[in-house]
Amino acid sequence: MNQTLLEVQNVKKYFPIPSKLFSRKKEFVKAVDGVSFTVNKGETLSIVGESGCGKSTTGRMIMKLLDITEGKVIFEGQDITDMTDDQIRPLRKEFQMVFQDPYASLNPRLTIKEILEEPLIVHNFNKGNRNQRVTELLEVVGLNKYHADRYPHEFSGGQRQRIGIARALAVNPKLIIADEPVSALDVSIQSQVLNLMKDLQEEFGLTYVFIAHDLSVVEHISDRVGVMYLGRLVELATRDELFGKPLHPYTKALLSAVPIPDPTVKRERIILKGDIPSPANPPPGCTFHTRCPFAQETCKIQVPEFRELESGHYVACHYAEELEIN
Amino acid sequence: MEEKVLQVRNLQTHFTSDAGVVKAVDGVSFEVGKGETLGIVGESGSGKSVTSLSIMRLLKDTPGKIAGGEIFYEGRDLTKISEREMRKIRGNEIAMIFQEPMTSLNPVYKIGRQLEESIILHMKLSKKAARERSIQMLTAVGISRPEKIVFEFPHQLSGGMRQRVMIAMAMACNPKVLIADEPTTALDVTIQAQILELMKSLTTTTDTAILLITHDLGVVAEMCDRVVVMYGGRAVEESDVVSIFTNPKHPYTQGLLESIPKIGDRVERLSSIPGNVPIPAHMPMGCKFAPRCPHAMDVCWDKEPSFDKLTDNHSVRCWLYEEVPTDEPNLVGSSER
Repeated sequence: MNQTLLEVQNVKKYFPIPSKLFSRKKEFVKAVDGVSFTVNKGETLSIVGESGCGKSTTGRMIMKLLDITEGKVIFEGQDITDMTDDQIRPLRKEFQMVFQDPYASLNPRLTIKEILEEPLIVHNFNKGNRNQRVTELLEVVGLNKYHADRYPHEFSGGQRQRIGIARALAVNPKLIIADEPVSALDVSIQSQVLNLMKDLQEEFGLTYVFIAHDLSVVEHISDRVGVMYLGRLVELATRDELFGKPLHPYTKALLSAVPIPDPTVKRERIILKGDIPSPANPPPGCTFHTRCPFAQETCKIQVPEFRELESGHYVACHYAEELEIN
Repeated sequence: MEEKVLQVRNLQTHFTSDAGVVKAVDGVSFEVGKGETLGIVGESGSGKSVTSLSIMRLLKDTPGKIAGGEIFYEGRDLTKISEREMRKIRGNEIAMIFQEPMTSLNPVYKIGRQLEESIILHMKLSKKAARERSIQMLTAVGISRPEKIVFEFPHQLSGGMRQRVMIAMAMACNPKVLIADEPTTALDVTIQAQILELMKSLTTTTDTAILLITHDLGVVAEMCDRVVVMYGGRAVEESDVVSIFTNPKHPYTQGLLESIPKIGDRVERLSSIPGNVPIPAHMPMGCKFAPRCPHAMDVCWDKEPSFDKLTDNHSVRCWLYEEVPTDEPNLVGSSER
């Protein structure tokens, strides 16, 4: 059952900072600095982290919307890292993306029908009966064929996100990368879209890479969760392990920072000091040591290895075992 | 009975547009006491932000106008006083924190100058004393090296730092009421935790009343003493924070609470409220929530329920808890319409 669909091996993305005149030193923003994980068929892997941690950049590299500085992305056994645009185009129908902003990701000058037809035309799908396919897609995401001739501005945020999902589904992909698909939506609409995504996964056997910052949403939708901090994965585990027994101090702090909608619960909260350091100038050693309440001397010098502490539970912390005992 | 600092009674704020009059806020009432934190919860378009702008009388540059109702601050009706008098209150006795720390500071002035502006204006201090006061405020909100920060520009600070500066600015003149409009929405969770903690400690030390406007029920649960739930420009439920979460009465509040995923509480499917948030220009006739309500009866479509007290501190606007007028035939209608 555990068939690997996507393998990400130590990918890095460095964005060059425009250098000063006469300066020879080239500087980089290390947006993603060595991230590895695998995604199995039919599962939902979530990547969580705060702004600037590189989660969206990772998603875009998998989609090949960004060039990969270093490392490999392997999709169904094929190395897609160095493929040219022409080579990758036929493969694109296997993995599609749902974007965060439903207001910006649909062309305002196209009707819904035209938006949904576009991927079909590009990938030569359903020639002759595209109309029928469009109707089908709209029904799958809970809209109907009367919506086909309208323009995006006539829809609410939730409906637009449904259209975005329908567009991603149009070419029967195996993998969908969803970059913050519900964070722009109202609470009561969020749950509608989350339910829809779960239903579609069951119906079509989809695999999701779900990029989000909202931990309660992530807990709801994922099978496995990876936590990123400053361009690196700091912890990766099954949902139950990660939420039940977090090992990395950052994950613990992140979990404790989420406000719980229940006024009767009072709890101990780990409040992190300071801000996220700039990825242009990340701290040496463990990048989290500047904010970590348990930081030791070693953390300032040595980069912790991303190791498998327990079966399937990876963590990048020198002192994970000791912290667990406490 | 503790003293109420701010009382809003039947506030109505209307916007005139080409499409006619839009009633963004249509009859909202609440009170905030000293040192109390009142949460106003609602989704986009519920009128929560317009309510706060109305209290601050910041609608001047918009097509919006306060069409009715009263806003009492320490016995004075803010809707009636002149702009000149309002200016003395705004930023001094009632201060506001905005959602966007990125856009609500002036990018071309140094932090110190922006902080001192209101201090000099309201507290009538000298420049030197104002500088001291602003450094003191920056220290209070947990900014390290405040003597340096006053010489920096907003773009040199991170989002969390800017929001701290905004709070320092708002608190500088010891306001009695602090209106915080989504103060942490633009921030990361770990930074949000810092800011909420800071706001909490400030209210306990200074006894400021806070009006916290947010859509995040988690933030409400942690911060507020009382909660007003808004929907379609109206308050639909008001109660103390524990009752809202443990014993919600209005179907909208119930639906909202059920539809948020909670950490540690796993369900296969989230229950969700069907349909969409209504657009203010196309409000339903009767109860604004009727088209999405699982309990909608015939009367809900025709007549709007009134905002009634169930108990001393729990009010709700719903026909389920009200005597339906007897001249209405067919009380127990279908919900199919």
